[in-house]
Order: sequence, then structure tokens, then C-alpha cells
Amino acid sequence: MGRTIVVTAGKGGVGKTTVTANIGASLAKMGKSVVVVDMDIGLRNLDVVMGLENRVVYNIMDISEEKCKINQALVRDKHLTSLFLLPASQVHTKDDIDVDKIVEIISTIESSVDYVVLDSPAGIEKGFESAAAPAKEALIVVTPDVSSVRDADRVIGLLESKGVSAISLIVNRYDLNLVEKKKMLDYNSIVEILGVDLIGIIPEDKAIIDSTNRGEILVSNASGSPAAKAFENVAKRIEGENVPLSDFTQARGMFWFLRRER
Amino acid sequence: MSFFGRKAASSVAEERLKLILVQDRSLLPPAQFERLKEDIINILSNYFEINKSEINLTIERENRKTILEAIVPVLSVKRDK
Repeated sequence: MGRTIVVTAGKGGVGKTTVTANIGASLAKMGKSVVVVDMDIGLRNLDVVMGLENRVVYNIMDISEEKCKINQALVRDKHLTSLFLLPASQVHTKDDIDVDKIVEIISTIESSVDYVVLDSPAGIEKGFESAAAPAKEALIVVTPDVSSVRDADRVIGLLESKGVSAISLIVNRYDLNLVEKKKMLDYNSIVEILGVDLIGIIPEDKAIIDSTNRGEILVSNASGSPAAKAFENVAKRIEGENVPLSDFTQARGMFWFLRRER
Repeated sequence: MSFFGRKAASSVAEERLKLILVQDRSLLPPAQFERLKEDIINILSNYFEINKSEINLTIERENRKTILEAIVPVLSVKRDK
């Protein structure tokens, strides 16, 4: 019996899809079997971020409408043999989703893998609801700005009202340089304001743009980059390992960017 | 504070966020909030003489718990006759 985790945010453009792909890949690198699911029905993108767009045949709506079996819709990752993508449909809209069917499909998949990671669409409407419904755990992605934290607060409230109680926070696109100049919100303030557990801080990293353009997942393509290290640390924490946030609490001075998160 | 007496952007962001969230987290729309206040005054008036103008009613979310706080100055207790 695996674990089902929804990656969500409320606000768009904060990195949900990138986080989903990289956490999924990091868990797969640790030897876990993982299915990442694109729940953004009508606006799919996880296939593109993973560079699997040319291999998509069926999608989750085809399973829901009984046009194919679950196994026929799963696309294996190019590099990691235990990582699979379940794509979203590009021709349906959120209104076409049958939430009960989705919950049933995810629960079937969950019973045969270690992790199901659901990439939620932006917003708090039906797309979000159907992504959250099958999950018992949630990763909230937030960037250090007022809009994103505000939206995250709303989403956390909604998840709690739906009975998702294991909620952790990922602070994405964190620029320590700007934080030290007091131009950007400090992660401590965000954690304090939102009142949920912090599971990782992902530094702003140009390597992500490069990887995404190539259709490669960062942790597969540039595993030494600061963001890749941070993603792998999040995966370890999900697995229960005690990995300290050392880099961001101690780093000071001009050469902070040379330090590696352990 | 920076050299020119301007507040740091991060502090401004934090203060704005806290104010926004106080509003967002107050779960009742203003009209309903006023009705709640009226209802509380009416019930309490059966038992106490209260100073209606100094009632302070707030709904806040803190550490993901919702707390309703009512501060009601009581002038005297009404006795059954």
C-alpha cells in the first residue's frame, strides 16, 4: 500500500509541476516505485516538463471513461525505470471530471506502488478538488511573495476542511541573497504565518530553466545543482530521514552560493 | 529600516500579509458577523445589563485554530423577580 500526496498551491506559476516531477524522480532515484499524475485536465504540462510528450497515448480521462486500462495509460520515464507518468487529457475540461472515478483509479494505482504524486491545477475549483480528494497528504508549494502565501493559506484551510491533515510546506524559488538584503520574505516568517510544517526550501536556480527547456527532470539532468540537492532532500524527508535545513539557516556572507546543501 | 528611512521590503510584505490574512481568515461575511453580534447581545441581555457600545467581538485564526473572542463589559446582573 503506497502513499498518495497532492502537490498544490492555489496560485499558478509557483512551480507545482516542477516540484511534482522532481520529487517523483527523487523518490524513484531512491528505489521507490512512483506514479506522478497530471490532474490539470485540459491544460496538461507534466508530460512536457518530463519530456514525455511524444510518448503519451492514453490519459486519466480515458481510464475514467473506460477506453483503456490503467497500465496502457502509464508512460515510463526516459531514465528512471520505476517512475511513471499518468497524463491528463488535453481535450476534456474540469467539468468532465468524475471525482469518484478518479479516487477509485488513484486508489487502485496506490495499492501497487510506493508513491502516487498528484500535480494539482491552480485554483480552488473542481480541478483542485479532484486532485485533493484521493490524497491523505499534501505538499503546499509557496513562493516568497504576498500573493502566493495568501493563496496557500486559503488552500491549507480547504485541505483541512476536507480531512487532509498531513500538510507540509515547500518554499520554492528562494533567493537567499535577496532575503539577506531584506528584499524578500524570510522562510521563517512564511512558516510562522501559515502554521504548517516546513519540508524543504528550493533555491532559485537557473538550471531548472535549462532542464525544463530540454524536457529533462532537474534531478536526473543536473543532480549537482542547488535546487536538485534541495529536491532530493525533500524526498528524503518524505521518506522519514532527518535531513537538516542547515544551508539556509547558517549560510552568511558573499560565498553562500558556493555552499552545498547537505 | 534602511539608509533612507524606508522600511525593508520584506518587513512591508510581512505586515501586509498579516493584515490580509486577518481579513481572509475571518470566516463570516460582515452582514452575518453583525447578526451574530446582535444575537449575542440579545441572549446576554436576558441575564445582564451590558454596555452595548463597548462590546468587542473578534474571530481569528491562529495556528490553524479558529477562536471566537467576545469581550462584554457587564454593568450589573439581572435577578429573577
